[in-house]
Amino acid sequence: MEPGQLRVFAQYDRDLTLEADAVVVGSGPAGAVVAKELTDAGKSVVLVEEGPPFVPAEYEFDGGLSMARTMREGGLRTTSGTVMPTMQAVALGGGSLVNSAICNRAPAFILDRWCSDFELERTTRADLDPHYEAVAKFLGIAVTPENVLGRRNLLFRDGCDALGYHCEPMYRNVRGCRGSGECFTGCRSRAKQSMDISYIPAALRGGARVLTSVRIERVLAERWRATGVAGRVVTPFTGRPSHQVRIHAKLVVLAAGCTATPVLLQKSGNLANRSGQVGENLQFHPGVAIMGIFPELVNPRFGATQGYQSRHFLREGFKLETLWAPPAITAVRLPGSGMALKNRLADIPYSAIWDGIAVCNRSIGRVRVRRRSMDPILSWKLHPADVSVLAQALWVLSQIFFAAGARTIVPGVHGIAPELHSLEEAEVLRDRPIRATDLVLAGNHVFCTTRMHGDARLGVVDEMGRCHDFENLYIADTGIFPQCPAVNPMWTGMALAHRSAQQIAQQI
Amino acid sequence: MLTAILCALALGYAVLRVAIGYPDPRRHYHRLGRGEVALISSAAEAMYPAGGPIPSSGLDADLPDYLERLMTASRLQTRILLHLLFFLVEHGTLLFPTPGRGGMRRFSSQDIEQRVAALDGWAESTLFVRRLVFTSLRAVLTMGYFAYPPVVRRLGLAPLAIESPICEADLLYPRIGEKPESIGMTAADLTPPSEGIPLPQDGPLHPGFAEPGA
Repeated sequence: MEPGQLRVFAQYDRDLTLEADAVVVGSGPAGAVVAKELTDAGKSVVLVEEGPPFVPAEYEFDGGLSMARTMREGGLRTTSGTVMPTMQAVALGGGSLVNSAICNRAPAFILDRWCSDFELERTTRADLDPHYEAVAKFLGIAVTPENVLGRRNLLFRDGCDALGYHCEPMYRNVRGCRGSGECFTGCRSRAKQSMDISYIPAALRGGARVLTSVRIERVLAERWRATGVAGRVVTPFTGRPSHQVRIHAKLVVLAAGCTATPVLLQKSGNLANRSGQVGENLQFHPGVAIMGIFPELVNPRFGATQGYQSRHFLREGFKLETLWAPPAITAVRLPGSGMALKNRLADIPYSAIWDGIAVCNRSIGRVRVRRRSMDPILSWKLHPADVSVLAQALWVLSQIFFAAGARTIVPGVHGIAPELHSLEEAEVLRDRPIRATDLVLAGNHVFCTTRMHGDARLGVVDEMGRCHDFENLYIADTGIFPQCPAVNPMWTGMALAHRSAQQIAQQI
Repeated sequence: MLTAILCALALGYAVLRVAIGYPDPRRHYHRLGRGEVALISSAAEAMYPAGGPIPSSGLDADLPDYLERLMTASRLQTRILLHLLFFLVEHGTLLFPTPGRGGMRRFSSQDIEQRVAALDGWAESTLFVRRLVFTSLRAVLTMGYFAYPPVVRRLGLAPLAIESPICEADLLYPRIGEKPESIGMTAADLTPPSEGIPLPQDGPLHPGFAEPGA
């Protein structure tokens, strides 16, 4: 296989063995950055991705079919303990193909806390800003233009402004957004700079070899050195394994995602786990959402998928943002059945959905391996104090909705009326005790399962992403975050990966 | 002896309940059994009856066909979960009978008022797991309902036609299952990237969602 080549499923006809300076497992935002930066530094790189590449002709508008094709476990993965859906993409470009491109720098106070609580010395905002900038320059990260925000984003601004809550349009890795609102099913405008159209083509230009439809099942190691990875070619969508793939490398970078990387380490003989922290400390940003119905037509189909946010309550533990999803997914939120449900569906053109994600450092879980599978078992429990934070987020969202002129909100909380028609009625969200099982949760930001820590007894990697136990094994996904970052993590993950890549380039 | 008779009776009832008496579906399904087709259709009719602000019903939307496609696109593990979901709803009336006469009959054998009441019972249950079953059923039915173009057209939510710019990635990646030779484009085919012009909301719909003949 020549440098600069990409291989797809239809091209594998025999077992494959490759050699490289570095092998990167996972083509999501962090893995793609590492691959590109290492090829720029003149290193030979193999980038491995389990999913296939998707082109616009492959995008599905239907939420269910789209998830079945682009998500692990068909998008039906949930945690146990507190039941919460959580998704992980399986596609070239990873989650960037189907996320809404939100780019936030981790707040300085969060990074300061990481440094003080986890014995880190070089992970302040000032340390990371050059890496944030490098990523931003390459991807064209910029604020969402006003003309593609659409009514549902601007209503959020109106509501926040009326209440004096600070808010701002999102920064996103998008160039030329047309407001299709289709970020979650793939951007047909090719405006979203997902990894498959940005970093990965650049890595290929630099000479990286990219293997798609290959599932890595084991990290190869001798004594305290990683020597490569081994896996199998898998059929897209069914995951049926066929030819064997083995890649020998001077250095291994695991960027398979916060839930997949610990499974890979555990399946490799509990590798890099002298600390006992692999798979532990699982954290999320659990989210809750409210739908608001307005008297005037909102036309939610138009506008940046998630174009506005408020970080006003970050220190209280939650962040608020706008949201749009494929219509069917939006409709799933609506309560009832029969004609009552159909009447509510007819309100969707007049609706907006806004959500809150919470900083839940107290809610901890773990990742464990499933027998004869590379899928994880996720156990996680929402701490009662974090339930209160989410309830507070719902209450603030309801205030913003009514301040923006909503006539009705649909809170989606069990035990509370399906529709609330005034702020006075919405006070029930503030006053009534709410349990975790009353909430409709979702958590797609996942962290900490291979956390960084200055003390090798308490963390899996150091602050450059290098495993404490293996000098040539790095981890570059959100699993290395020592705590959840309070904001959308993609940009921070990429900045950390950018920093790791610089050290790796010097090391090999 | 009595135990054996009771076991035989229970087995006979189970076979009768699970396998006997379902109507023949209109077409052959690879992924769905006859009972599942009946359950999906009856649940679709109860969840999305005809009339109201969206004229199309769940029956019009042919949800068994959608579920067949969804299951074909899904891995075995997901398919097993969906089969389990359908089984739970169809036979959950044994554990949670619907009010009224014949409330323990199969869900798909009940009249529409009973089915609506049964769904409401699942939706409003104090048992979290039972609500979860309802939410899951409603999710798959709703996705199928919204995959029916007249529904999203009626709500003004049908996707618009967008001509995707041809970028560098389009020269690298073939359609899934095909080889790179099938790409059939060169650098000469690249088109300018999006300039960020907002989509005209009165523009043509995606061909898959346009009115027939439009």
